[in-house]
Amino acid sequence: MTLEPTEHARRSFLYRELESAGASFEELNGSAIAVDYGDKKGELAQAQKLGICDLSTLRRTGFKGWNMANWLATQGAIMAEENNVTSHQAAGTRIARLSPGEALVLGDYHGGGALIEKLDSAWSMENADGCYQVPRAETNFWLALTGTYTPALFTKICAVDLCEQATPANSVVQTNVARLNAIIIRGGTTEVPVFDLLSDIASAVYLWHALLDAMDEFGGKPVGLKALQDLI
Amino acid sequence: MERLSEPFGSFIDRSQTVSFRFEGEQVSGYRGDTIASALLANGITTMSRSFKYHRPRGVLSMCGHDSNTMVRVGQKPNALADCVAIEAGLEVQAQNYWGSLESDRLAMIGHVSRFLPVGFYYKAFYKPRWAWPLWAKLIRRVAGLGTVDLATPHGYYDKKYLFAEVTVIGAGPAGMAAALEAAKAGAKVLLVDENAKIGGALGYARFDGAGEHGGKIRVDLVAEIADEKNIRVMTDTMCTGWYSDNWLPLIKDNRLYKLRAGSLVVATGCYEQPLIFHNNDLPGIMLGSAAQRLIRLYGVKPGKRAVVATANRDGYGVALDLLDAGAEVACVVDVRSNPPEDEMSMALMHRHVPVLVGSTLREAVAAPGGAGVREVRIADIESAERAARRYDSFSCDIIAMSGSYAPAASLLHQAGGRVSLHNSGGGFSVHDLPTHIAAAGSVAGTQSLDYVLAEGKDAGRQAARDAGFKVATASEPRPAEPEAFAWPIIGHTKGKDFVDFDEDLQTKDIENALTEGYQHIQLLKRFTTNGMGPSQGRHSTLPAIRLAARRTGASLDETGSTTSRPPIGPLTMGHLAGRSFEPVRYTAMHFRHLERGAKMMPAGAWMRPEYYGDARNKLESIAAEARNVRENVGIIDVSTLGGLEIRGPDAAEFLNRMYTFAYLKQPVGRSRYVLMTDESGVIVDDGVACRIHDDHFYVTATTSGVDGVYRTMLWHNTQWRLKVDITHVSASYAGVNIAGPKSREVVDKLCDDVDLSSEEFPYMGVRHGHVAGIPALFLRVGFVGELGYELHVPASQGEALWDALMKAGAAAGIRPFGVEAQRLLRLEKGHIIISQDTDGLTTPHEADMAWAISRKKPYYVGMRSVSIQEASGLTRKLVGFEISDSEITQPKECHLVIRGNTITGRVTSVVRSPTLGKVIGLAYVAPDQAEPGSKIGIKVDGGEMVQAKVVKLPFYDPDGERQEM
Repeated sequence: MTLEPTEHARRSFLYRELESAGASFEELNGSAIAVDYGDKKGELAQAQKLGICDLSTLRRTGFKGWNMANWLATQGAIMAEENNVTSHQAAGTRIARLSPGEALVLGDYHGGGALIEKLDSAWSMENADGCYQVPRAETNFWLALTGTYTPALFTKICAVDLCEQATPANSVVQTNVARLNAIIIRGGTTEVPVFDLLSDIASAVYLWHALLDAMDEFGGKPVGLKALQDLI
Repeated sequence: MERLSEPFGSFIDRSQTVSFRFEGEQVSGYRGDTIASALLANGITTMSRSFKYHRPRGVLSMCGHDSNTMVRVGQKPNALADCVAIEAGLEVQAQNYWGSLESDRLAMIGHVSRFLPVGFYYKAFYKPRWAWPLWAKLIRRVAGLGTVDLATPHGYYDKKYLFAEVTVIGAGPAGMAAALEAAKAGAKVLLVDENAKIGGALGYARFDGAGEHGGKIRVDLVAEIADEKNIRVMTDTMCTGWYSDNWLPLIKDNRLYKLRAGSLVVATGCYEQPLIFHNNDLPGIMLGSAAQRLIRLYGVKPGKRAVVATANRDGYGVALDLLDAGAEVACVVDVRSNPPEDEMSMALMHRHVPVLVGSTLREAVAAPGGAGVREVRIADIESAERAARRYDSFSCDIIAMSGSYAPAASLLHQAGGRVSLHNSGGGFSVHDLPTHIAAAGSVAGTQSLDYVLAEGKDAGRQAARDAGFKVATASEPRPAEPEAFAWPIIGHTKGKDFVDFDEDLQTKDIENALTEGYQHIQLLKRFTTNGMGPSQGRHSTLPAIRLAARRTGASLDETGSTTSRPPIGPLTMGHLAGRSFEPVRYTAMHFRHLERGAKMMPAGAWMRPEYYGDARNKLESIAAEARNVRENVGIIDVSTLGGLEIRGPDAAEFLNRMYTFAYLKQPVGRSRYVLMTDESGVIVDDGVACRIHDDHFYVTATTSGVDGVYRTMLWHNTQWRLKVDITHVSASYAGVNIAGPKSREVVDKLCDDVDLSSEEFPYMGVRHGHVAGIPALFLRVGFVGELGYELHVPASQGEALWDALMKAGAAAGIRPFGVEAQRLLRLEKGHIIISQDTDGLTTPHEADMAWAISRKKPYYVGMRSVSIQEASGLTRKLVGFEISDSEITQPKECHLVIRGNTITGRVTSVVRSPTLGKVIGLAYVAPDQAEPGSKIGIKVDGGEMVQAKVVKLPFYDPDGERQEM
């Protein structure tokens, strides 16, 4: 039985769009997430081709400041020396280094994020010491764009070349998508890439429809979290 | 439908017949035909009427390089019939005639052409002045191109980015060779061509006596390209310009591609030039390459009996192709007096075609009805400007012209390259190309096929090297090529010897303009409009340069060329408008507002509720919303307000420098007003600073101003290097202001961890707690002048907060209020809104905000300017005013304050207050009008002057008892 997204206080800005697309919701981390759209087998194939999946209620956080790297290191986080590279942590958590003084921490696609919990609870103004928490879970909505057509899709909305040759796996691209600032992270495989896209939470509905419009040419559709989990 | 047998007609699929309609008549062609090739295959030679004289026009270039074949296709005007592929059911109409295409009543204009010289309308219609609009209407009706159908349905156009390490524009022999060479070096190559198939001239031109050499090379190159994984081919694609850093717009179908090319090879070829003689525009007179395209690409025989006029060896190839297609060639007219013998001239001789050397075409004689050729008159050339009076006549129904060549060098020009026209020989060369751009083939002046291929390979290697690939060095230098003869331009006494077919410009039109003094090539272009038509001077710029050079005695290079600007070819408004992106921001409660019937309004990129209810009862709704705040409790979504986290050991010092007030001693748990000025002392923003921690302030800013405030803060701290971090969190928090005497009662129902009493949580206090279990920052503020709380919560929980407050407040009569009610309420309280009550020059003293300036600190941004302004005295002041007379016409915002004949200020805010029962407002007035009790005059709609009284602010609750209760 599907869950009503309004049963929880924490809601994706996109829940009405997901509902109208036929999503079924389940509870994850104290909020509702779209798990499928009624065709579980077909959705995996759709995700392999071109899918869009709302991950806005999954765990994430951010830190910035002149001492960000040191503070995260003291908490046991591993981070690349270079900017715009993602480093994998234990249990599927990833840290994307956005600049010398800013990092984005993403939980896994199953709702996990022990490191995130640890970092958020360890941080306070008293021990900030030049590293400050950024409310990424509230600042940005989070989508996964999946499938072989994703690089082609991005050429319709983004001026950066996201083909694997130009943007290899684990690259972070901070750019503009359909005139919105966005962070894009390449994951998945060579054949079936998965791009995480984080952008202004208040513009979620706008970008959702802009993406669906751009995806239409390639037969792209929304897919649920389960299809994404099966894909990875 | 008459067609040549294969191998002629490489573009058409004879197994698929396609029917369409032209001028209401059904016409059949084959899949792969253009409208023009199908019409010619059916014996229809006239496709449109000319711009000025309404002369019948047919195929000239057969590749979209001219405007002769512009037709209306469906609802789309000005489509090029020699480019548009036929489709079943297509409705095609000729353009620019009155009556019928065959019998255009406006063709009589040609008979009075001597009275309509170039620029006639500049000289004839400017007096009397009132008459010009009438003339303009008439001129627009009889001249021009297609008409726009305003009922045309919207099409779907969009844009797409493209990326390529090497891009080659033009897939002729040079372009194909370049693409292959770059791809072999490892580069990802994009090969772009405007035609339906790649191959360029190899697909239709003749390079040897047997006529097989070009075709064989084409087959090999096309196969090689098909096997090369590094090459992507885009056909039917037009590159319309060059922009900085090799940014190239490509048009294909309804899409504009924005291509970023690492390095670029321009292999766009050249434009074959027509000869200039009397009646050189009749249907049946076409470029030699057009005749060859018809034969080889579409299997259409252009005519039964041809005369070929040429200035180079290519005309001999045209003649041989016409013979192979079964046409009779009456003669070849070679303007060269001593053409060299070669394989093609020998082949022609063996086929017994007479060649008239040192001769040119004097005039063509129109067939009955004027829509074709029946005879051509040929005379000996006596000099570059004169032909013999005696001529020989040859009957024919087609004239194929192979004049000189003009480079298709617009992209090179736009990139900063220079094309030199050679004074002798009719050749040209390219210079001064920037890095990452190479030119190859005939666009660079190279003509012989072997040289073109070699040059293409060189360019491909250079492009790959520019893109970072290791490649071998360029090939050996090649000896210079022989150049084509510079063809003569011999005017005709009867005129109609067209230089520019788009604009119906004759030789005498150009010469008359030169005589009038328009000798600079740019002035000549603008006065005559030569080259300003749809074909953008592809066939007319070079003859105009030559005529100007001949008149002035300057060389062709000294005469120069006109400026080439994008777009090079036609593109639609749809391509430019395309799929545009207009981001819009919704708050967490957006859909709750819609469910309550809110009328939404933009606030920057955000959408905010203006008021709730029917537009017909707007004023009543606003008044009721305001009244409910004063009497019960109201709730407004303030999520759009800017939010900035200022954190670090220097946070207080940073705010002290950024804002006019003092913040070093601000207690934790309190908020304080912030006013920001720029370096010139002008007010740019305001808000409140909440001290959350010794090292942490949460600062609000105006909805539309926060991005600028954030940028300004970053800019300053880059210089100050204070230990502070600035984070933009406007969208991270949803916010509501719940205000009214019952607001405490409503919030108290949902909150058990903050003591809301005025003793424990006084006005301007800041607390952390929970509302309905949602973590919240509580701010006691009073923008609307009542007891109230701003609650800031994580954005994802904003809707839940709203739902909880609406439910908890139901018994107290809670109702949401919009921006309009808030403006009314704050005006009653005398609060200003930055950018409504201030403008780009307003200083704190003018706005009566001196109370928000600290005089005890050494610095803030704008301090020096504010001090100077204060010392200089005021020139205007913002004051409150009221009008008690309920019968007067109410002033509006921006109505002027006038004293005598002088404007002393303007109204910035005004409203009829339901609470106070009178009109109240804010206005700038002269300093001597600012004292309470002063009378000011406001000029309202209709010019009436209304008297208002200056009063002390605020209008409502002057002691602040209601907001501090």
